[in-house]
Amino acid sequence: MSAPAVGRPAGAAAVGVLARRNPTVKLGLLFVVSLVLVFILDPVTPAVLYVLALIAVAASTRIAPRALALLHLPFAAFGLGVFLVNALSRPGEVLWSAGPLRITVEGLSVGASLALRTLVIGVLAIGFIASTDGVRLMHSLHQQARLGPRVTYAVLAGYRMLQEMPREWQTIRQAHAVRAPLRPDGTLPRGATALARASFALLVISVRKGERMAQSLESRGLGLSPRTTWRPVRLSAADWLMAAGVLAVLGAVLLVSAMLGHLEGIDALFG
Amino acid sequence: MVSTSPDRQTAPRRTPWPLKDLVLLVVLGVVFGFVYWVFVQAWTALSIAMGPAGDLAQHFLAGSWLLVAPLAIAIVQRPFAGVIAEVLASVIEVVFLGSAVGPMLFIAAAIQGVGSELPFAATRYRSYGWLTYALSGLMGAGLVFFYSALRFGWYGQDLFFTRLAIHLLSGVVLGGLLAKVIVEGLARTGVVDNFAIGQTRLAAGHGTR
Amino acid sequence: MAPAEPVPPVLDLDGVSVTVPRRPEPILRDVTLRLDRGEHLLVVGASGSGKSTLLQAITGVVPHSVLAELTGAVRVNGRPTVESTVVELSGHVGTLAQDPSSGICLPDVEQELALPLENHAVPAEQISGRIDDALASVGAGGLRSRRTDQLSGGEGQRVALAAALITGPELLLLDEPTSMLDPAGVTAVREAIDAAAAAYGPAVVLVEHRLDDYAGEAGVAGLPGRVIVLGDRGDVVAAGATAEVLTAHAARLHAAGCWLPLEAELRAVTGLAGGLAAPPVREALRGLSTPDGAPHEVRPAARSGGGQTVLAVEGLAVSRDAPDRGSRRARRRGVPVERGTQYLLQDVSFRLRTGEVTALLGSNGAGKTSLLLTLAGLVAPAGGTVTGARPGMVFQNPEHQFLAHRVRDEVGHGPADAPPGYVDGLLGRHRLSHLADQSPYRLSGGEKRRLSVAAMLAHERPVLLADEPTFGLDRRDALATTAALRSAAERRSVLFSTHDLRTVAAAADRVLVIADHTLIADGPALQVLRDRSVLGRAGLRLPPLLEWLLAEFDGDEQVRRVLHRLDTAVPAEAAPAGSAARTAGTAGAGAPDATATVSTTGDRS
Repeated sequence: MSAPAVGRPAGAAAVGVLARRNPTVKLGLLFVVSLVLVFILDPVTPAVLYVLALIAVAASTRIAPRALALLHLPFAAFGLGVFLVNALSRPGEVLWSAGPLRITVEGLSVGASLALRTLVIGVLAIGFIASTDGVRLMHSLHQQARLGPRVTYAVLAGYRMLQEMPREWQTIRQAHAVRAPLRPDGTLPRGATALARASFALLVISVRKGERMAQSLESRGLGLSPRTTWRPVRLSAADWLMAAGVLAVLGAVLLVSAMLGHLEGIDALFG
Repeated sequence: MVSTSPDRQTAPRRTPWPLKDLVLLVVLGVVFGFVYWVFVQAWTALSIAMGPAGDLAQHFLAGSWLLVAPLAIAIVQRPFAGVIAEVLASVIEVVFLGSAVGPMLFIAAAIQGVGSELPFAATRYRSYGWLTYALSGLMGAGLVFFYSALRFGWYGQDLFFTRLAIHLLSGVVLGGLLAKVIVEGLARTGVVDNFAIGQTRLAAGHGTR
Repeated sequence: MAPAEPVPPVLDLDGVSVTVPRRPEPILRDVTLRLDRGEHLLVVGASGSGKSTLLQAITGVVPHSVLAELTGAVRVNGRPTVESTVVELSGHVGTLAQDPSSGICLPDVEQELALPLENHAVPAEQISGRIDDALASVGAGGLRSRRTDQLSGGEGQRVALAAALITGPELLLLDEPTSMLDPAGVTAVREAIDAAAAAYGPAVVLVEHRLDDYAGEAGVAGLPGRVIVLGDRGDVVAAGATAEVLTAHAARLHAAGCWLPLEAELRAVTGLAGGLAAPPVREALRGLSTPDGAPHEVRPAARSGGGQTVLAVEGLAVSRDAPDRGSRRARRRGVPVERGTQYLLQDVSFRLRTGEVTALLGSNGAGKTSLLLTLAGLVAPAGGTVTGARPGMVFQNPEHQFLAHRVRDEVGHGPADAPPGYVDGLLGRHRLSHLADQSPYRLSGGEKRRLSVAAMLAHERPVLLADEPTFGLDRRDALATTAALRSAAERRSVLFSTHDLRTVAAAADRVLVIADHTLIADGPALQVLRDRSVLGRAGLRLPPLLEWLLAEFDGDEQVRRVLHRLDTAVPAEAAPAGSAARTAGTAGAGAPDATATVSTTGDRS
């Protein structure tokens, strides 16, 4: 199997307005919006939020429309599955039925709401990931969210390990494959057992490497205090402005939705 | 003459976390994050092909997301190891593997970690038998199920109890018993000899090989 | 005020012994040594003699991070290491480990170098300048904006060295810093170490067994001035000025499997000083080239063309980014080569025959590993055909290949229905019987290599491919490995890649050389090695001994006989006591079967 490329490359210049914002603030906003959405169960409110989020992400990052559409695929498919299951399996006013299958009004409504929620969180997560360098995020979490230096650099060391992992994985898979009997059609084996064996080998090799990395980090003085920070990640007025703007829009949408009588909460699940 | 051999027999301890333990938790997160990612490539295609059934099939593999917590606890044998390991794994998944599930994964991870850790905590991090692992998987899967049910709207569906049953079973087998198998395998290879697990096993007389 | 205290030595070890669980014998036994400011010390010893443990005891990793018992005292700048954590000691001790993939911890070179400065609270405005200085001191100024996962091994080691020295520690520890590098990397890193040590002036402890490569052209003069020699029991068996100790104990070090500088090796074997330039030494070497009526000593000349063809390669092309998906065997045949595409390799044609050991040579990145993977059917050819039965392959890192939880099962994985005793026989021939119930991951480097070869041989494939099989091994293990390959070739064809031309001259019948994206030479080993234009194109350099032997003797037999006699001066295993200590960790270490037989080839009954 081929070496997969992991994530987006560190240090690859993230462009667009969103890329210049503080990573911790972006992560916090994504978190708040996701949390609020969990308590909304009508289809209209998330639909409006999705349109707004899509416009905001398209405008503030420079993801090409085609790439943005492709990135939607995994969670759009997931959303569709959620929609269908809910439409078919939720008791309520029956719209259509055939044998054991029946579609209900409540099912359609809740299903659409959940599917749209997946889309909103998905498109925001795309915007976040596309505009944020993981290494900068860790530095920012260290400075703005008081994540300890040892945890911060342990995670960054893990990231470095992750960068080399596709190569390591491919070598292990090849080294195992050469010892495996061929399948009847002459191809190399792939299957759960082979993957499990390769995964175990990867785990063993990585645990040992991790122990040596920890020794390297300690030999560089990680854990001494006080320490200084070279090139701090700044928190600017624009970051606060963005946070205020996003929260204001979210609040306004909820308010208008409630006034128009669309907004529904958790109790929609229990009919 | 100076003789030093850190006394690690009594758990839990109050000493700060050694860096190697922290890095180990990260390594577990990285390796499992990567391996899931390899599996998920095949899995996503499969679940799209399965359509609505794919939504249900996710429960069969739900337990495998719990593995990191019992492994971390068994190796470093410290309070909160399971919770921290799960959260670190979710951070790596979101931040470096670009999981589009987004930061809600952090909360799911923390809940899972708490669930998986409770049975070990109840034994004061001393018992590592099959039953503890099985309970760990059961609790981890159970707690996170109710959170996911809220996120994905499973409440009120006809399938609610089917989902719950599959989820719990998967938790026990993949998130509990499988963890014990992996821990035993790792202990045999010697790469965790310098962690708490190596010391307790040595004390218990498993040290000859 | 108290009278001026004498400055404490940078490093002071007083009767240090280290014992780890699972091994009854101490790894390090009663080591005492003292190192003053700016002094350089070399530590030599065979694998398993406790060299790495000595360094861990100095950094504080033993006993703080590794479960071990340390007795005696280790003091850095007068302060006992048991009283300080590894982190607290980091201000005084810099470390360069073997493997840059775990010695570098962050994704960018800049961050890697900034981290130690930030940790030591260097004011932010000074950091950039100090990064430049540190990189310049290791000759790596151009690497500052690079990502660490895109560095070569040699570049990675230089960055790690800069990171170890950037805070100006008084003591620099080097743990086999060049053992994972190709010859070009070895030279670059060695020069960087010399330059950086001159710039920062720390005391240096160098642990190394590959002294011939490390010393390079300079010979003994290229090594630190002082040396201690660790014996197989972990004790100091010799100490003093390097030139004198290597001379006086050359035979012992040679027997312990160290790769000695040539001058010392010749001294060990001939008993004569002066190196290759000295006429008496030359005379002695000429003496080694004459037959002594024991013909079994030298293996028969290459049976070129004698054996049966087991793998035929026709017009093979290997693409740069290997299309490895699927790896279908069906795709191994009949793909036309597209003209105009730049392949990693193209127009490669050769045949592998039973009974032959063939070496694959080429500079780093020439495509040796890719070619072997293609021959093994793991990567689909970009063009041309590979025909023949499925080959086996031994990978560079044996751990990548392990599948089982026990050594016995690892070997037993191959044969589907082995006759009784088959696995035991293989274990015995590869001196693994005493480890049969051990986890493969617990073995030493040499044992892992033997296991990976034995496990692959158990598959009974007609062709055995091996990627750098002697890489990183001490001399004893390297010789055992080449002996195993030779013995495997009695019923198979063996093709192995290597950088080590001396091993090629001693062990290979035939040589394939790749360079300029194709196969540039295919012929009898010594004939190819005598061809200066081929060596030049492939960027290969003959080591001085081989250069002299090839110039001196016209007959291949004579060259081989000298090399063989130099190699057989290295016993396959050390003295019984040492061997028992090294294989400790298994229940019943030191049992009779642990003190292995001298014969490494074994007979294939």
